[in-house]
Amino acid sequence: MGKNANRAALRWLEEVFSGSPSEKPEILKGVRVVEMATRIFGPYTGDLLAQLGAEVIKIEMPGAGDLMRYVTPEGYFWKNASVGFFPQNRNKYHVGLDLHYEEGKEIFRELVRRSDVVLENLKAGTMDRWGLGYLQLREINPKIIYAANTGFGQWGPFSLGRPSYDATAQAVSGMSEITGFPGRPPLKVGIYIGDFTGALTSAFAILVALYHREKTGKGQFIDVAQAEVLIRILDWTWAYTSLKGKPRTRVGNMDPAVPPSGVFRCRDGFVALSAVTPEQWRGFVSALGDLVPEEIRLLEDPLERTKGEIPEALDEITGKWCSSMKVEEVLSAAQKGGFVAVKVQNARDHYESGHLRARKSVWEVEDELYGTVTEYGPPPKFSDSPMRLKWEAKPVGYHNEFVFKEILGLGQEEMARLEEKGVIGRWDDRPGACPPEKS
Amino acid sequence: MNWFEWIERETRPGEAEKRRGAFDGLLVLDLSYGNLAGSVCSSFLAEQGARVIRVELPGGDISRKFTPEGTFLGDSGLGYLVEELGKESVVLDYLSPEGGALLKKMASQADVLIETHGQEKMVSVGLGYPELSGVNGRLIYLSITPTGNFGPDSAPGEVEADVVGQARSGIIYLTGEPEEEGKSPEYYQVPTRVGSWFSWYAGGIFGAFSVAGALFYRESSGKGQFIDLTPSESILQFLDYNLTWYHAAGRVRERLGNFDIAVYPYTFVRCKDGYTFIAAYNDDAFRTLCEIMGKVELLDDPRFASFSERTKLENERELVKHIEEWTSRHTADEILRIIQDTISRKSGPGAAVVTGRVNRPDETLKETHWWERGVFVNHEDPDYGRLVLQGPGYKMTETPPRVRREKRPLGADTVRVLKELCGLADEELERLKRKGIISS
Repeated sequence: MGKNANRAALRWLEEVFSGSPSEKPEILKGVRVVEMATRIFGPYTGDLLAQLGAEVIKIEMPGAGDLMRYVTPEGYFWKNASVGFFPQNRNKYHVGLDLHYEEGKEIFRELVRRSDVVLENLKAGTMDRWGLGYLQLREINPKIIYAANTGFGQWGPFSLGRPSYDATAQAVSGMSEITGFPGRPPLKVGIYIGDFTGALTSAFAILVALYHREKTGKGQFIDVAQAEVLIRILDWTWAYTSLKGKPRTRVGNMDPAVPPSGVFRCRDGFVALSAVTPEQWRGFVSALGDLVPEEIRLLEDPLERTKGEIPEALDEITGKWCSSMKVEEVLSAAQKGGFVAVKVQNARDHYESGHLRARKSVWEVEDELYGTVTEYGPPPKFSDSPMRLKWEAKPVGYHNEFVFKEILGLGQEEMARLEEKGVIGRWDDRPGACPPEKS
Repeated sequence: MNWFEWIERETRPGEAEKRRGAFDGLLVLDLSYGNLAGSVCSSFLAEQGARVIRVELPGGDISRKFTPEGTFLGDSGLGYLVEELGKESVVLDYLSPEGGALLKKMASQADVLIETHGQEKMVSVGLGYPELSGVNGRLIYLSITPTGNFGPDSAPGEVEADVVGQARSGIIYLTGEPEEEGKSPEYYQVPTRVGSWFSWYAGGIFGAFSVAGALFYRESSGKGQFIDLTPSESILQFLDYNLTWYHAAGRVRERLGNFDIAVYPYTFVRCKDGYTFIAAYNDDAFRTLCEIMGKVELLDDPRFASFSERTKLENERELVKHIEEWTSRHTADEILRIIQDTISRKSGPGAAVVTGRVNRPDETLKETHWWERGVFVNHEDPDYGRLVLQGPGYKMTETPPRVRREKRPLGADTVRVLKELCGLADEELERLKRKGIISS
């Protein structure tokens, strides 16, 4: 096949992905999700489903709502909203509903009767105690898919009464122990990695369950424990620890299994760098010149470079090489040599990246309440049924009318009565819960 | 039967093998090279029962060689071993014209194809999406590359280490100890990589998520599609307010070590036998913690009296000293017991005091919880004997994920698969072997 044909096929890619996603079908159109979840671990699962087009109804306590509405860096509120609340709550319908009331529970059941998925991240057994657990809900909707996200799972010695946050999972799994530098304390990963990875796993399992239901008509229960998800993703940690009879330890910024690779300080910033294939290795040693000792230069096979003291030696050599240069100089030397180096990226780099914008990985949401909000867009790019961000998180109870009237068919008087009693409700007048000031 | 008994009965280890997987009967071709995101993706599909055929170039996937201390078990390193189980192994030079034709024939019968070379290379050998969707309109074609197949900085599917993907994603910028003002930076006060291969794993799980979504869509549309994915972009949405804060306030989020400027206390502290996690960030929970520590006077200290004061970095540095005064007198397990005793008698926000030991991997391996739930499984390796590996990280009642057990030597299934899917006869297979296009 000739060069022209290649270019034609790649042009097809540009065309497919430059169009507006809003004109294409959505994968989960017509799938309704009831989300009874707070903070990140539950809500991001709902957010992913909503990015796929599901109609996600987020239930919050009238008044204050999801506690994540008040978790924001340095207590900063933007247009009365937490910037930490937006990224897990796009495309959702927000209702205020108090499940402590029997009437609140009845409304919840009516919603579940009309839904496909229930999603929650309460302590194991809580919904069951409230009469709203999987065994009770499947009586009223046998096809329901019910996903429960917890720290330790629905059963087992740790599951009963033990609360968990993201960093609990980082701690108990071993992830923090292998992150950071030797001789320094174990390091908390700078993002809520257990929440997000667990939430993604839960969304995957829900899609699996929807696919299965399409084939068989059967719903099911899904149990996702964030600590267990982190254990699952710790690559060779368990194989190594059991094989060698000693625990894997933290080794700083080098990757001892893929040397040379790591993060290095330059004169004006930091780069990450790697040379993996024989071609990349040759480019690397020629760029570093005399810094690489003769006996190491010959190690084109990446396996040979993982042996003995070689990873440490390569880390030191590369660090020395980078320390005398500027970031741009390292990047151009890598480009010339045919190995890989990138600047360690931060929020500004992402925001200004034409590449990420062209790929809709940096996405501008046009929202009726908040105007333009820049968000990270959906990672997978589907050619035929793309994920998308449609609107931002909204104040507590913002969609009460739509959900209670349009979906459940409650009358105006009934709604007023329920609101009067506190069964349903809207936002408190406080930043985090309420709408922006009118300008 | 109560809830806990029911759910344990339905999801305990061993149940999965008796039930069907949601992806039973699906055929997945995994062509990953030097990018473990592809392998992780096909592992998740295999855990749901899909038949996964790993198709490797002669000599095998270079990621077999990504391993610590040169540890090689038969024909793979430790990182690859974890994700190669439960898959068939075919060696085929699909970048050659003859091999490419065979791959195309296999793809005409497949449900999913995963590749990490990038479309420029795949198109050049006649295996790009347009060509393969032409012979199989139901094919779901997942391309995982470092920078994606489109966009101004898109580069061909270059091989790069996980740490580079982490750096692109921004997670490294946010992890690590900050430099102390007025002092010259120590070597460890730098942006720091997550210790494990997080970009490959995030990319792999997003890959499985997108394939599952495309399969669901195919049920109603009858059509396959193309999916473009990068490991680094797979982490972006995990950075929560990183970009929204920059958009709203023009602020770049910086690394803070074990501190957190959105919630505090929410940190690791020294204890008698190592480190443990302590969180008690809402006002009621902070009160509970102060009572537990016998330090109620902290509640009157203006630096710690409110949520917003406690999340100021300079106050966090002071507060952690007070907490460590107490925690350093106890072991992590004692701290867990004391806190659990107290919060089991409370409810609401005041009960939100949370702890957990920062485990070394050998300590995690000793906890019975994970063993009972089948998160750890013993693996009998033909080359090295007994190893412990991780099982699936989630449970389902109807279609539970299965533990992948069998490890197939490189190329062990070449002949059988090519006979079955391409109808090749013995003499043809011999000829291809002599030409170096296949090996077994």
